[in-house]
Amino acid sequence: MTAVYQLKNIRHFYNDRKVLNIDDLTIEKGSITGLVGPNGSGKSTLLKLLIFAERPSLGEIYFRGKIELPFSKAIRSKVTLLTQKPYLLKRTVYDNIAYGLNIRKDKNDVIRRIKTALSKVGLDFERFAPRKWHELSGGEAQRVAMAARLVLEPDVLLLDEPVASVDMESAKLIRNATLKACEEWGTTLVIASHDLQWLFSISDTQIFIFNGKIFPTGVENIITGPFETHNGNQFIKKLSDGQFLVLPEGGKGKTAALIKKKNISIDQDKKQLNNGFNQCEGTITSMFFEKKKERISANIGLNDLSFTLNFSPDQISRLDLQPGKKIILTFKIDHMEWM
Amino acid sequence: MDDIVAGIVKAFELLFSGDESTWTAVLATVKVSTCSMLLSIGAGLPCGFLLGYYEFRGKQHLRTVLDTMLALPTVFIGLVVFAFISNQGPLGDFKLLFSLTGIAIGQTILAFPIVTAITATTIEAVDPLFKLTLVSLGAGKRNIIATCLWEVRYGILAGAVTAYGRVLTEVGISMMVGGNIKWHTRTVTTAIALETGKGEFANGIALGIILITLAFAVNLSLSLLRRQ
Repeated sequence: MTAVYQLKNIRHFYNDRKVLNIDDLTIEKGSITGLVGPNGSGKSTLLKLLIFAERPSLGEIYFRGKIELPFSKAIRSKVTLLTQKPYLLKRTVYDNIAYGLNIRKDKNDVIRRIKTALSKVGLDFERFAPRKWHELSGGEAQRVAMAARLVLEPDVLLLDEPVASVDMESAKLIRNATLKACEEWGTTLVIASHDLQWLFSISDTQIFIFNGKIFPTGVENIITGPFETHNGNQFIKKLSDGQFLVLPEGGKGKTAALIKKKNISIDQDKKQLNNGFNQCEGTITSMFFEKKKERISANIGLNDLSFTLNFSPDQISRLDLQPGKKIILTFKIDHMEWM
Repeated sequence: MDDIVAGIVKAFELLFSGDESTWTAVLATVKVSTCSMLLSIGAGLPCGFLLGYYEFRGKQHLRTVLDTMLALPTVFIGLVVFAFISNQGPLGDFKLLFSLTGIAIGQTILAFPIVTAITATTIEAVDPLFKLTLVSLGAGKRNIIATCLWEVRYGILAGAVTAYGRVLTEVGISMMVGGNIKWHTRTVTTAIALETGKGEFANGIALGIILITLAFAVNLSLSLLRRQ
């Protein structure tokens, strides 16, 4: 596999606020990368950099091995982005989809290509092509926006919460069209979504973003403040059911801490441990199968917090894990990192 | 009341009898207002785009100056233009005083801030996703500018109509710079002022109705254009 993107020492600021801090990130050609993280973590900003709509404040973005800048010819029409809220030009559906082709001065078989693009998102050409932008529902508008990207047969398709505000039928059609693009043209996909089940079932790699920092190990567990001081230098996070987590030193002024999945172990019952450990009870809220990695992701609720852990199917059987079951999470205080 | 009724009757008489002095004034009004509108759109559209689209130091101060210019009294513009184009003024050699060109210059100064401010406001109101969408469809800088202007065409049109209304109905510039010379620089508005001064209310009302009809015709044609 060859790298389609390489990001080196990226630092991006809005005014004086650092919104992205990526030392190294590579996205392989033809891969499907899932971007996961809470709202405001930097997912959309990263996508804006990948579409070259903005230039990073510091660092370089290599596209197919060359440093590229906004509006460079090497990326125009090859990389495209579908945003959560579609923006359609104030013209007909046909003209909206033809816009990208017109820019390229590509007049070859336009009607057939627009028909194909519309059919990929489940819209009938005869019915929808003459409609004006304001004659569409939210789901239809998003599908038209998707068709406008698909007609370009892009090398890279970036999707920012593509199905977050559409109905189930539109979501299904958009998802199918996305995967078809990947199969048919070898399109590289980068998808930011809160729909972890879908994302985990299709993506080769999951990147977790929090406070502009990326974790290539996938979804990691965030403990958000407020924190109280404990035993002088340590901090605690109180949960509403009376449990609490002890956090290490160095948290003054910090708003969140992270504990990696690999550092958390689970048990059926509490054990006698020394003071260097956190031990708390959680409930499995949902589980789903990650097809590509043949493992199961489980979301565990700890009152106000939610943790995600991965298990092999064997572990699930052995520990008899299922939604609703209470389990004990154990992790070292020193393994927690302040963010 | 009698004067008003007489004015309406007179308006039709003046129009349909082909009264030469009336038609000369109408023609002069249309000429100068069209010319000043073309000039103000030509200059105001790019300035408004730059002001609305780009962020730069001093932008807010520039907007304040522009907004102040929206309230410029026509007599003040007339006075400034008069000072510049009178024989003693720096542009005196061009012999623009008491000419339709002189009035057009003054009316361009009147319309320019209106076109610029409304264009800038319209551009500023464009959805933030607009540029991102166009970039993601492969648009270059020129495509973005052209598409942006096309997207906000109705807003710009509204600005142009507002400016046209102000230009069409102003008296101060036409009177001071044009001098209200019959057959030459008399416009409908200066003619109304003159007729009213002479006590010829019916003539004044007739000319007023003609002016309103002119404004209505312009708005109607723009409205039809918008519907298309």
